[in-house]
Amino acid sequence: MPDIVFITGASGMMGQHLLQAICACDHVARVLVLTHHSPLPVDHPKIRQLKGDITLRGLGLEPACSEDIARRATHIIHGAAQTSFSSEPSTARGVNVGGTENLFRLAEGCRRLKTICYLSTVYVAGKQTGTIDENHRENTLGFVNAYEQSKYEAEQLVRSSRLPVSIVRLSTILGDSRDGAPPKLGGIHHALRFFFHSLAPFVPGTEESLVDLIAADYAAAAVVALTFDEFARGRTWHVCGAEDSLPLGRLLDLSLELFSRNRPAWRQRAIARPAIVRLQTFERFAETVEELGQATLGNVVRVIKHFAPQMAYPKIFSDCETRRVLESVNLRRPAIADFYPKVIAYLVSHNWQPALARSNGHE
Amino acid sequence: MQIGISAIEYVLPPDALSLEELARDKLLCSSPEQLRRLGFDRCYVSNLPAEALASQAATMLLERVAVDREDVDLLIYAGALASSHQVSEKQFLGSFNYPAAKMQFELGLLHAGAIGISQSGCLGFTNAVKVAIDFLRANQSRNRVLCVGADVLPAGANREILYNVISDGACALLVERDSPRNKILAHGSVTKGYYWDSISSKNEIMAAYFPTAKNVIADVLKQAGCSRDQVELVIPHNVSLLSWEILLDLIGLEKEQLFYQNIRRKGHVIAGDNWINLKDAVDEKRLRPGDRFLSFNFGFGANWAATLMEH
Repeated sequence: MPDIVFITGASGMMGQHLLQAICACDHVARVLVLTHHSPLPVDHPKIRQLKGDITLRGLGLEPACSEDIARRATHIIHGAAQTSFSSEPSTARGVNVGGTENLFRLAEGCRRLKTICYLSTVYVAGKQTGTIDENHRENTLGFVNAYEQSKYEAEQLVRSSRLPVSIVRLSTILGDSRDGAPPKLGGIHHALRFFFHSLAPFVPGTEESLVDLIAADYAAAAVVALTFDEFARGRTWHVCGAEDSLPLGRLLDLSLELFSRNRPAWRQRAIARPAIVRLQTFERFAETVEELGQATLGNVVRVIKHFAPQMAYPKIFSDCETRRVLESVNLRRPAIADFYPKVIAYLVSHNWQPALARSNGHE
Repeated sequence: MQIGISAIEYVLPPDALSLEELARDKLLCSSPEQLRRLGFDRCYVSNLPAEALASQAATMLLERVAVDREDVDLLIYAGALASSHQVSEKQFLGSFNYPAAKMQFELGLLHAGAIGISQSGCLGFTNAVKVAIDFLRANQSRNRVLCVGADVLPAGANREILYNVISDGACALLVERDSPRNKILAHGSVTKGYYWDSISSKNEIMAAYFPTAKNVIADVLKQAGCSRDQVELVIPHNVSLLSWEILLDLIGLEKEQLFYQNIRRKGHVIAGDNWINLKDAVDEKRLRPGDRFLSFNFGFGANWAATLMEH
């Protein structure tokens, strides 16, 4: 019997790559995709869109659609989430915890269900420092933003389920390892854009704080492998850069070099590398800008302040088990030193337009 | 003995306006409360032209020091504003009526050359000091340079620039080959022409200010082989105290090491508040012989400069 996959969150950062990877699987006959407002990034004969809303009971699906999923779905990949770092706790919790609860309620009625893959984030580690391994469960030190906390709470909910579920914690997705194209712009891309335009004075952290980044195609391929062939009930996986991650200082230096290489005239601007500062210094600057009602820098601060403070809690994510399993199916993590230059080249040459905006004619 | 600054005098107009008075006259962009939180309290407004204040400051200096006026080798006149480089004159030919030459004559500096420094914003006076140092280093037979800086904003001009409250004023100092105090240990500066347009690039300037300041200060300390622990005092330009607290954090120094009291008392005297502050810090016994101190300032253009000295 062929597999039928039900997926949520396919319009997200990794959606395009994930849908392409799933549709390419011979054993998958159908991909049922829950869509909300955003258009799907991929068109494929195996795909069927189902209009719904993760925050509603029954995911807001038509009864016939719910029944179709319950009758046919063999695998569920739950990626729908409120990923905005600046969202209010109630909003983040409503989507990320409430939405997961709604999905699992639906999943309980799926009669052919073999696996559920819950997509989480390595940043459920929050303010924890040091080595974060795949078995890391408890967080007693708090979180940098409501997104992290809500994903942590959702993980606990997922773990309490009796369904066949595994958790895949993803790191920050930067772009495609082959052509550098980022599907969408996230916090890291905006921070780099501010740096490029001389609007980023500070980054909290230390020279040595590791910046963990992954390629979108690798992340998608890993999710597919960990959902189908290498599924392990109850396991938590880390799809991340791990020890390959670049230290913050080195990443900023490399970015300076790449901006100049890709736009030689940029060098003439002599834009200084953002200063790496203590979290308190960064916060003081943010408060001052907000106090002054400074619109442009205020916007920069609002974008950066919700995720960059992670750098002030230096950590390294371990992916030992995940890498061992993925390498057994010949899936190797692309080296950051190889794909980071491609991403910067893409961003600079496409004037910071992500791949999806371009393909949707939003340029 | 080394090249250093042997004497400083300054002149501020007699009238100070409170933030509330400035707000009443619509001479501020921000509210008095906001500016007070940034460390400001008042500013000085002159009804005399810049060159008149400059002349007063230079006269005071020359009357105080035991130097024969004919032993001054160079007069450098600095001003941020174009109007500061002209003696008031309505005819076109009057554009060539320079205060530097007028002052050289009126002060009796018979053997001094006279030049002006402009186009470096609030860094003009510091650039004058730098040119004086370089002049003495390059001319071993010359011993003494008089630097004078003055600026007066046009009548009715807004007194707030990038959240800083601006005062009129003038400063004069003597750079001498064998100065008994304020010896120059190192100086560094950088100009980033990308930010030349201070109106449309104001956000970028504010963002570039801190990392560039940090780099310039670090370079100067490195040049002098001086660690930050050896810096006793920081002599600021009188921009917002909050921005100074951020910069101090960035360079690893404490607020107690900053001579910040003049931000409230005097506002940002663009004609040379670092040097005005140096005089006040010495008068208030904040520096002892042998103390190392750091002066930092920024000027539109955009220019950053730091000077390490030993009292």
